[in-house]
Order: sequence, then structure tokens, then C-alpha cells
Amino acid sequence: MKKILLVSGAALMLVASSAQAQERKLVISVYGFAQDAFKTILYDTFEAKCGCKVVVETGNSVERLAKLEANKENPVIDMAVVATPDALAATRAKLIEPIDVTKLSNYEKLYDIAKDPIGGHMSVGYTFYATSIVYRSDKITINSWNDLFSKELAGHVAFPNVTTNQGPPTLYMIGKAMGKDTPDLKAPIEKVAEHKDDFVTFYVRSSQLTQLMQQEEIWAAPIGRFAWEGFAKMDLPIKWATPKEGQTGGMNVMVLVKGAKNKDLAYQFMDFWLSTEIQTKLAERLIDSPANKEVKLPAAVAENLTYGEDLVKSLDLQPAEAILDNRESWLSQWNAKVGQ
Amino acid sequence: MFQNRAESLALALPAALFAAVVFIVPVLILLSEGLRLGGDWSLAHYVSFLSTPLNLTVFIRTLKLGALVTVAAAVIGYAAALCIVNLSSRNRGRMVGLIVLPLMISPVARTYAWIVILGRTGIVNQALTSIGLTDAPLRILFSETAIFIGLLQLFLPLMIISLVSALENMPRDAISAARVLGANWLQVFWKVILPLTKEGLVIGGTLVFTGSLTAYITPAILGGSKVLMLETLLYQRVTIANDFASASVIAMILIVMSFSANLLLKRLATARAKR
Repeated sequence: MKKILLVSGAALMLVASSAQAQERKLVISVYGFAQDAFKTILYDTFEAKCGCKVVVETGNSVERLAKLEANKENPVIDMAVVATPDALAATRAKLIEPIDVTKLSNYEKLYDIAKDPIGGHMSVGYTFYATSIVYRSDKITINSWNDLFSKELAGHVAFPNVTTNQGPPTLYMIGKAMGKDTPDLKAPIEKVAEHKDDFVTFYVRSSQLTQLMQQEEIWAAPIGRFAWEGFAKMDLPIKWATPKEGQTGGMNVMVLVKGAKNKDLAYQFMDFWLSTEIQTKLAERLIDSPANKEVKLPAAVAENLTYGEDLVKSLDLQPAEAILDNRESWLSQWNAKVGQ
Repeated sequence: MFQNRAESLALALPAALFAAVVFIVPVLILLSEGLRLGGDWSLAHYVSFLSTPLNLTVFIRTLKLGALVTVAAAVIGYAAALCIVNLSSRNRGRMVGLIVLPLMISPVARTYAWIVILGRTGIVNQALTSIGLTDAPLRILFSETAIFIGLLQLFLPLMIISLVSALENMPRDAISAARVLGANWLQVFWKVILPLTKEGLVIGGTLVFTGSLTAYITPAILGGSKVLMLETLLYQRVTIANDFASASVIAMILIVMSFSANLLLKRLATARAKR
């Protein structure tokens, strides 16, 4: 009888604790890539730590912002990750609220560029990447962004479409190389249009590029560092350029949804994601470059990521405001001049 | 009778409600975006879209490619379907299986395969140079030709399956009868096969044309932004400009084009049947 009572009591406790765990639920909205690794490294370990349930929604930034807007009055997502221009768009639409950085114990461990990327503590950077030019070192040498237009490379370059994440940063650096770096990107777009027949294609997916490089369709292409690993594995002499005008890139940030129902959990989760332990594990799997400067990586891993204080300091990122305010006009100019 | 009709309507009601909620209402909401300007009903978005020269160029290119792919699919589809229906039932099943197989592979993978085939070092260029048709490899990738080939390969199975099904339902002795009466093969096709398989042609043509109009990944990868299509523009309006009004205008144009193609094919089929 005593045994039965004990077993029943234990079962009741289990049910009660599981019910309690179900009540504590954090809803996050993130990018769809590498979700298996994120689940193992981040979500499952956080669930075990907080005794809560992490509900993950995936999709692109547009879908995410559309969902936040649709549920503005009754938010269903607690925290989201987006690119900096989208975080600014969400700020302007009053969809997110300032982050109380005193609740993030790992905040001071972040590189300065990740601490307050769009101002007002509306976001906090968790990863970034460099953008430069990948090229066949046996065919050509690249020292400047202007080299993309050289006669030697004509007919051998894939240029990112303006609709991709790499398009505007590449145009931004070309503008710098031309000495005409106005946010409207008018001069670089015109230059690309003048040379448009010299480009093999204006790519929409960086996954296309390894195939094109392997088939010798192209010798060079501007890419984000996250795509470098595919090139590094090729049995071809391929280098990552360090142009004299510098490298640009992009950053992904965490945002706190306005009126989030589980703010405390959201803060705990953000802090956990920014911790040295998690950032190291994600970097070791080559998923995200660490925004936490305490992360130490072996050379073989580091060379595939955007890593190290010097490199991070040298990144010349396009201001989120310039991207958000100009992207529609960039698209119109691009379609009219390059897409005709 | 009335009771039967009421019962039928009652039985159809859940399906109709489901279709309305899941398909019709969202489409109507999307389309209404293009007819609103600052809260008022207006055609301004349509006028603005159609008065832009770039958009008209893209519209004509999309229509032209859709029509070319459909015609090519019909020609190849009839040839393939006629061969298939003449096989034994066992081999026919195997052939249909082989034709359906590509439909189970992602369009992304199928499109990437064309990058290998049509590239400068691909088999097409190798063949052209080895038989002496060209001195140097041609630039086939990232052109309208590449998109045409990609779309044709993507949607041809739908046309073949529709035509095989139509040919299987055709009276077996119709062709023999026409031949006995002295018709040559062209006359047999034009006066017997085509009228008797018009339903299959209409279904296949509509599927191929609509698919070609709305495919995104193949034109985006095989054309890049050098060859803009309507669906590429639609994607840009939503993802970059967050402009659902213009996107809704493009969606409406695509819907109208698809319906028009269906009506045109039906009309042509009916006209042939009346002759």
C-alpha cells in the first residue's frame, strides 16, 4: 500500500512538473538554416536549464515582420532574430521594444559593433560576417573592389543580385573604391550596368557559386564569409581577397517583441545564446561567427569564420538606416539599368 | 428531388467552406491590396505598374516564354505520348513511371543540373564543339534560352501524362480507320488524334503555361537578374520593397494570364472539333 502511494505521489509530481513546464513557454522566431544543430546546442540545453519549452518558428525576415505586424495587439512571439535593417524596420513600426542590457550578463563580452547595432538598445548582435571577394589565385590577383571590372576578369565574374544580402554591401564597397560612396549607390549601380555583359550572372543564391567555380564558369565572386567553407574545400587554388578599401559584411541581431508574454524567459534565452559556451559551440560547428569576444577557436575553425578583434574592427558595415531608406530605390535603379 | 438537392448541397457545404476559407478568401484579400490606395478603391496601382516600360518588357517576356514552353511541350508531348500508348501495358506503366519520376525531385535540384549541362564545359557545349558547329563554347547559361530549356524540362511531364491519359481514352480503331480511308499521318493527327484528345491538350497546356508563368527558382537561377520575369518582380516587390500592393497587381496579372490561356486553349479545341 505504501509502495502504491509512493508511486502515485511520484507520478502526480511528474504530471504537475510537466504541466508547469508547459506553462513556461518561450516562442522564438529564427532563420530556418542549421536548425538541427541549433536544437542540439541551443534549444535543448536551454530547455533543460530553464525547465521551460522553447517553441521555434522559422522563416525569412519578411515573413517574420509580417507576422509581428499581424499580431501587434496580441504578440505570439517573444523574441526574434533578424538582420539589422529589418530590426530598424521593426523599430519604426513599433513592433519591438528596447532591450534592458543589465539583464544580459554576457553583454559586456560582446564586440563593440554588436552591442547596440541600430541604436537605442533596440537590438543586440549575436553574429556577423565579412563580405569580400573569393577568387582563383592562379588566374588573377584581387587587391581592390575595382578589380571586379578589370579586363582580365571580364566574362568570369558572378556578381550578387541587388536583392540578395551580398548585393548592396558589394555595391557599397565598389562606391568606396570609386570615391563615390553616397547611400543612393547611384554611381556603383551605373558602373555595374556599364559592365553588365562582362558578368556571367547576377546570382541569387550563393550556393550556385561553388558549382560555377568548379565548372570554371567563374573565377571570382563577392560572397559572405559564411559561404567560404564550400570554396575552401574545393581542389582549386582559391583565395579570400583583402581589398585595400577593406571588407564589409552584415550582422544578425536579437530583438525583443513589444508586449512579449515571456520577457524574463526571453532575456534568459538571449543571455544564454550570447554566452561564451554557446557561441563557441555554434562557431565550432561553423554555424555562426561569434559576437562574444571571449570565444577562443582553433585556427582551422577560425579561418572559416569572421573571427578575431582585428578583423571585426576592420569591418566597414553599411548603416542599417542607409539600407532601409534606400533599398527600394536601389531595386528600381538596378532593374531599370541592369535588368533591362 | 428537392430533398436530394438539399442533401447534396448540405454534403458539399463543408468542402465549399474549407475551399473558401483556405483558398478563395486569402486570394481575394491579396488581390484587394492592389485595388486600394490609402483606404480608397482605385486602379492607380494597375495604371502605375502597366505604364512602366520595364514592367511591360517583363510582362511580354513572361508571356512569350510561357507560350513557347507550352507549344514546345505540346509538340514533344504528343510525340512521346503516341509512342507510350503503343507500348505493352507493362512497358507503358514503366515509361509513365519514368516520366513521373522527375516530378518527385526538387525543382531546385533539377535546375542546378542544368548549370552543369549547359555550362561552358557541359555536355551541350562539348557536343557542339566536337561536331564542329562552334569554335568556342557558347554562353547558353543565364539567358532566355536557358530559362526556356529549364522550364520545358520542369513541366513537360505534366503535358505527357495528360496526353497519355487522353490517348488511352481514344477509340483504338480510329487511327486505323483513318489510315484505311487513305489519310496520311499528318491528316490522321490533325483530323482524328487532335480533336479526340483536346481535353488532355487543354489540361496539359494549362498546367504547363500556368507553371511556366509562376515558376520562380528556375528563371531566378538560370536567368539571374539579366532576364527578369513577372514572378521575379513579384518576389522582389514582397521581399525587398515590402510592397504588397504591387505584388498583388502582378499576382492578378498572372491569374488573368492563366485563365486566358485556359479559355483560349478550350476555344481552339472547340473550334477544331466543330470543323
